[in-house]
Amino acid sequence: MKIKILVFGQLSEIINASELELLAINNTDELNKKLFELYPKLEDIKYTLAINKKIIHENTQLYHEDIVALLPPFSGG
Amino acid sequence: MTEKKKHKVFIQGTITPTFIADSIAKHSGKTTIGAHDIFLGQVRNDLIDNKTVAAIEYSAYEEMAENLFHEIREAIFVKYDIVCMHIYHSLGLVKTGEICLFVFVSAKHRKDAFDACRDLVEQIKAMTPIWGKEIFEDETHTWKINN
Repeated sequence: MKIKILVFGQLSEIINASELELLAINNTDELNKKLFELYPKLEDIKYTLAINKKIIHENTQLYHEDIVALLPPFSGG
Repeated sequence: MTEKKKHKVFIQGTITPTFIADSIAKHSGKTTIGAHDIFLGQVRNDLIDNKTVAAIEYSAYEEMAENLFHEIREAIFVKYDIVCMHIYHSLGLVKTGEICLFVFVSAKHRKDAFDACRDLVEQIKAMTPIWGKEIFEDETHTWKINN
């Protein structure tokens, strides 16, 4: 069970990468918990998650090879 | 007739006045149009903590943004009586005073053009995964937050 994480905006400065892979994560609550363990500063920034390009707002099951994006507040235009 | 094909939104660097002029000129053959409304976003020299913004470097989750632009366009076509619309957004570095967003809506009548254009710009700002890194004159930076 492997998921790919895409990191954008200011979050890429905290994680110091634009992509990472995590193993054995079953859902998005577990993912956030793991990310906070690895990168405590993430807890200071509001972000939303998108799974395979769709934004989710509740804890969601993850599957092998899902692509999860960490999206800080948008600032286009 | 409406124009609904998926088109490319992102442009590397600033959107030039020439590009905008050419885009306007391309509509002269579409004679059912009676009103164009154009929104241009320009990079502003905000003063933040006594430092002046010199440029914004835009990045995006491009694939997701392209999908969202497509969905937003489809919904706007359903909601308003418009003939065509075009959206262009910069990626990479855009200096203050340069254009970073070009939204162009054409309709038979002005009301639809105005309403659709405003709606479109608001949705782009709120919904599309694009980020602006504000670069100061001293080369430090901060991350822009949309109001």
